[in-house]
Amino acid sequence: MDHLLEVQGIHTFIGQYHILQGVDVCVPRKSITAILGRNGAGKTTTLKSILGLTPPTKGKVVFDGREIQGMRSFDIATLGIGFVPENRAIFRDLSVEENLKIAERSKGDYARKQDMIFALFPDLKRLIALSGNNLSGGQQQMLAIARALVADNRLLLIDEPSEGLAPVLIESLMEAIRKLSAEATIVLVEQNFLVASQLAEFYIIIEEGRSVKDGKMNDLISDPDAIQRYLGAA
Amino acid sequence: MKVYFRKNLLFWVTIAVLIFFFILSARGMPANEWVITLLRGLSVGSVTFLVASGFSLIFGLLDVLNLAHGTLFMIGAYIGWTVFVRPDTFVDLIPMAALLVSGFLLSGLWNELGKHLPAGGWTRILPWVGLLLASGLLVLVLPHYPVTGWDLQVYSQTPGTNAFMADQGLLVLPAAKPFENPPSLVLGGLLLASMLGAFGISLFNRSRVLAAGRLNWRQFVAFIIVLGAGLAVFLANDILTKFLTSINTSWLFLIAVLVATLSGVALGGLMESTLVRPLYSRPIYQLMLTLGLSAVGIEVVRAIWGRTEFIMPKPALFSGTGEGCPATSLGAWLQHQCSTFMLLDGRVRVYNEIFIPLVGILVLVAVWILLKRSRLGMIIRAGVQDRGMVEALGINVRRVFTLVFALGVGLAALGGILAAPSMGLSNTMGESLMINALIALAIGGLTSYPGAALGSLLVGLIQQIIIKYGAIGIPIPFTEIVFKPTPPLVPASTVLLMVIILLILPNGLLGRKE
Repeated sequence: MDHLLEVQGIHTFIGQYHILQGVDVCVPRKSITAILGRNGAGKTTTLKSILGLTPPTKGKVVFDGREIQGMRSFDIATLGIGFVPENRAIFRDLSVEENLKIAERSKGDYARKQDMIFALFPDLKRLIALSGNNLSGGQQQMLAIARALVADNRLLLIDEPSEGLAPVLIESLMEAIRKLSAEATIVLVEQNFLVASQLAEFYIIIEEGRSVKDGKMNDLISDPDAIQRYLGAA
Repeated sequence: MKVYFRKNLLFWVTIAVLIFFFILSARGMPANEWVITLLRGLSVGSVTFLVASGFSLIFGLLDVLNLAHGTLFMIGAYIGWTVFVRPDTFVDLIPMAALLVSGFLLSGLWNELGKHLPAGGWTRILPWVGLLLASGLLVLVLPHYPVTGWDLQVYSQTPGTNAFMADQGLLVLPAAKPFENPPSLVLGGLLLASMLGAFGISLFNRSRVLAAGRLNWRQFVAFIIVLGAGLAVFLANDILTKFLTSINTSWLFLIAVLVATLSGVALGGLMESTLVRPLYSRPIYQLMLTLGLSAVGIEVVRAIWGRTEFIMPKPALFSGTGEGCPATSLGAWLQHQCSTFMLLDGRVRVYNEIFIPLVGILVLVAVWILLKRSRLGMIIRAGVQDRGMVEALGINVRRVFTLVFALGVGLAALGGILAAPSMGLSNTMGESLMINALIALAIGGLTSYPGAALGSLLVGLIQQIIIKYGAIGIPIPFTEIVFKPTPPLVPASTVLLMVIILLILPNGLLGRKE
């Protein structure tokens, strides 16, 4: 199968801690892949290692047929990878519009994508002049995803989108992510197995810094033992 | 609105109390003296602001406490002084600087060459070989490059005497020194040294920039332009010197300001890209580095310009004293270009008390617009909060770091050359200003740009009012005692203000809670 992203046996240290000790991730094009695992398993670090924010010391990261490990983060991002971090990292001092404009990689990106973004998140249009520190959690999450859409990204790395959101918001967010998967390939880190199982087509389970199981989401759903064993939840 | 005031109640009360004190301070003196004192405060505040704002920009985005900032302020003053008082020396140095810079403009070419070298093994010593050859060549060639300068040993040719004579309009520039060796050999040597050095430095990060480092025609154009400009100045040396000495000193001062500021920008860029960059994850090393650089800078200035203090003449626009002075109206001032101006029957020094504050306000607004309206400003504001995320958006934050560092140092150098005609030049001018700037930042909030402006203004005003009351005394109510603040109380007063404000608002007036 044709893979947009292939991570092969990466090891990553943060300080002196050996966080990732061999993670493999294969992401087929135009699909949603969920990275699952318990707290502290290394899911977020995997995303950051792909982007070079915490560069892997060993292993390979291949994006669209090109080895990208060791490249600088902004060069990696420029290849077409959008990042939606766990804490959303909305720029507080910037208005909503500036938060979107700053993600432009070539002039006019924002003007071109505006309609698409506001069709996906109608709320943002109303908030456009507000500054980043006046947004609620849900609005921040929408803005963070919208920001990753401004440039032409083929791969979106989304970290914990449902964290801290009310169930109603999670519903609409899932809807948006599902729509996005028609255009881009999505890698999703998600604690909430219910959300992940409804969105993702493929899954990878990471345990103590190693990828231990992967496959189709449907197979995992019908295997309660595995869910119990790796994720501790039914 | 109500919510806003409730949230910022402490801030507004503090500001109200401060304004009340400033108005109260008017009671002890005539109105015109009070206005002049305030203008002086504004002037000191402006210079402080130029240093403080650069420092705060650098600290906010890069997390680097640049302890060399005061020294860079001083270097800006000395460079500007050289352009203004000794244009011949300045013209002599242009070709040298152009040749030394030109090699570094071809970074794409060096990266490309580096890629074709085999990796590992003997090529690992190549960068060092390049640097060694370059510095050896410089040591060999530089002494043969004649620069018409001053002489610290001969009293009549010291910078101090030069400055004094220039102020009197009596300075006669010495005859230009001729080349003893063929100029082409010396100039070629400089160019070669620059290229070798640039090649060596580019080889250092060869392994890391495999993806980057494209050959680029723009670099070649820049190379040709800089090299051409350097050679043109070399050939037209005498004409250019004559031209610079013949023009109105106001224009020369403008050139001096530009050269000093741009030198600051260049120095800042160089400092960030070579010395500070490898130390981003090691804050203690940064402190040691910038502290050490500060000491090195002071010693270099001592070696070149000497230890003694000297003056810088004011440009023609602000130095008229003859008939029609002090000016009473703006028209009269423009006509006679007086050094002083009558305001409410009090004499105001135009350069110190009107020009410097005007430039300060201009820079405040310009940088504010840069921060609020440009893409660079947007990236800076975002980067202050979260560098990693900015990089994850595909923005080369490193290049922005270099730009901001260069901009910050440029602002300090601008402050230096602006302050030079009013403060004079001394080896220690940076230190006292740096302390003022740090206090101003603590008062205003360490990473807040408007905070830097407000803090600097307060520091300037407090100091000038205390100095003024040192002369006229403060009568203590219900007693016969008249209290005259002594000079040591001037710096102490700003520290006291800082302590009080930090007790009330621990993040400074406009700082944000982290």
